[in-house]
Amino acid sequence: MQILQNVVNFLLGLGAAVFVPIIIIIAGLIVKMKVKDAISAGITLGVAFSGMSMLISYMTGAITPAAEAMAKSTGISLPITDGGWTTMSTISWSWPWAFLMFPLVIGINIVMLIIKQTDTFNADLWNVWGKIFTAVGAYYITKSVVVAFIIAAVQIVLELKNADFHQHRIEKLSGIPGVTCTHKMAFLAAPMYPIDCVLRKIPALNKSFDADDLKEKVGIFAENHILGFILGVIFGIIARYDVAGILTLGIQCSTALTLFPVISKYFMQALEPISNAVSEFMQAKFNDRELFVGLDWPFLGGSNEIWLAVIWTIPVTLVMSFFLPGNEILPFAGIINIAIAVPAYFVCKGNIIRMIIQCTIFAPVFLWVGTAFAPFVTELANTTGAVALESGQMISNSSIDGPIITYALAHIAQVVEGNFIPVAIFAVWFICFVFYSRSLIKEKKADMASGNQE
Amino acid sequence: MATRVIVACGSGVATSQTVASKVARMLKDKKVDAEVQVINLREVDRYIDGSAAYISIVKNSKEYPIPVINGLAFLTGVGKDKEFEKLVKAIQDYKPV
Repeated sequence: MQILQNVVNFLLGLGAAVFVPIIIIIAGLIVKMKVKDAISAGITLGVAFSGMSMLISYMTGAITPAAEAMAKSTGISLPITDGGWTTMSTISWSWPWAFLMFPLVIGINIVMLIIKQTDTFNADLWNVWGKIFTAVGAYYITKSVVVAFIIAAVQIVLELKNADFHQHRIEKLSGIPGVTCTHKMAFLAAPMYPIDCVLRKIPALNKSFDADDLKEKVGIFAENHILGFILGVIFGIIARYDVAGILTLGIQCSTALTLFPVISKYFMQALEPISNAVSEFMQAKFNDRELFVGLDWPFLGGSNEIWLAVIWTIPVTLVMSFFLPGNEILPFAGIINIAIAVPAYFVCKGNIIRMIIQCTIFAPVFLWVGTAFAPFVTELANTTGAVALESGQMISNSSIDGPIITYALAHIAQVVEGNFIPVAIFAVWFICFVFYSRSLIKEKKADMASGNQE
Repeated sequence: MATRVIVACGSGVATSQTVASKVARMLKDKKVDAEVQVINLREVDRYIDGSAAYISIVKNSKEYPIPVINGLAFLTGVGKDKEFEKLVKAIQDYKPV
């Protein structure tokens, strides 16, 4: 037993860039990958970790002094660096228990399919990290791995239910049959629903306009290198840097935002063979049943409304971050907030005006939740060595997917300490979810009935 | 030089890379010499020239001068073989300008 403990400690001591690849090589061999391919995947994953770590150090090295200078010149202190979702996924995968989430996700999905509680087969095994992320939050509050996994299990069940309810509307909006979205970002649609019920009553907000032209004109602002440069220049100006300093910060920020997706791809490359093996296994197992395939959001990326809402949210979030009480995060790598635009798209059925209102109302939630998660994320990053941070530096994400439910689930165990707020938030979310899902089911039935008459 | 095909998704990271890795493996197994490049949805126009096919995972409103392959088939498994044949044919028929 002592020896086993020593081996585990030795492996963890090697740091995420070494022990996670070892785990994936073992996992690869379990799903019958060739030895050579498994080793290749493992080393690719090590490269992904080291590359992200390098990039995050580079980013914090550029942003932290600017944030400090901005605090001096404006009196507003935003000490948490925003690493975006790529940083969050890197840190999540480095949690020593992370890989156990794979069997849990697959197991729950299989059971739910067998007992006919869902029609969705979640093929998006990349976003297993979203469950790990919530579990990490719960783990840091309760110090219990078991509780963390129970909370993750609740999230997995809710994701499948949410995907079932959304399938019909997604088919209507995207024109793609047979698929749905299992991503937890779609959870935010539920609390947006009551607001949409009110907004729909205002006739002026029911108009829509053609988003194509506008997107052609402003789309460039959502390109990583351009956006990074603009943000760097704005930060430099607020920090009262000289011209050379402003332009340098602009290029540094542009570099960071441009390279994040480039390096994140290695994570996908390394994890794809495992995810593929699981998908094929599931497809073969439930071959006789017509299932909806749960995917990540990008199959909706053809919608111009989503991009316009994302672009709108960038300046809104940036300005709010300076004035919002309780916010301590300086929006940067997470500022391209897909997690706010996609649920707004679902709820508002693509009506761009109502989507923009929703994005404005919910933008502060992302800043608060980003601030609330900084301590866990920073602590995990420091313990596993997934990311090299200077002491005292904090990291988080200004666009945590499904912020309300992620916050509520991760903190729910605080109820034993007498903090009822997370439970109350969960209850409110759940009530919204019930009403919203009813409206989605009603819409599906109505469409089916009118379809039959034709 | 290997023939290039492109895959695009919203962020140019997760979904497109999953499709790309899968397609690349299928091509390798079939011994088709091609390079699968992952790009961002907003960069498609820049990469159309010089590519044999565009593997799309969104519903396209636009027409492209090169064959467009339904990338969702590789994720859902529905119609995967047919789309893959289309891709192989596009690569074999491709003549660089």
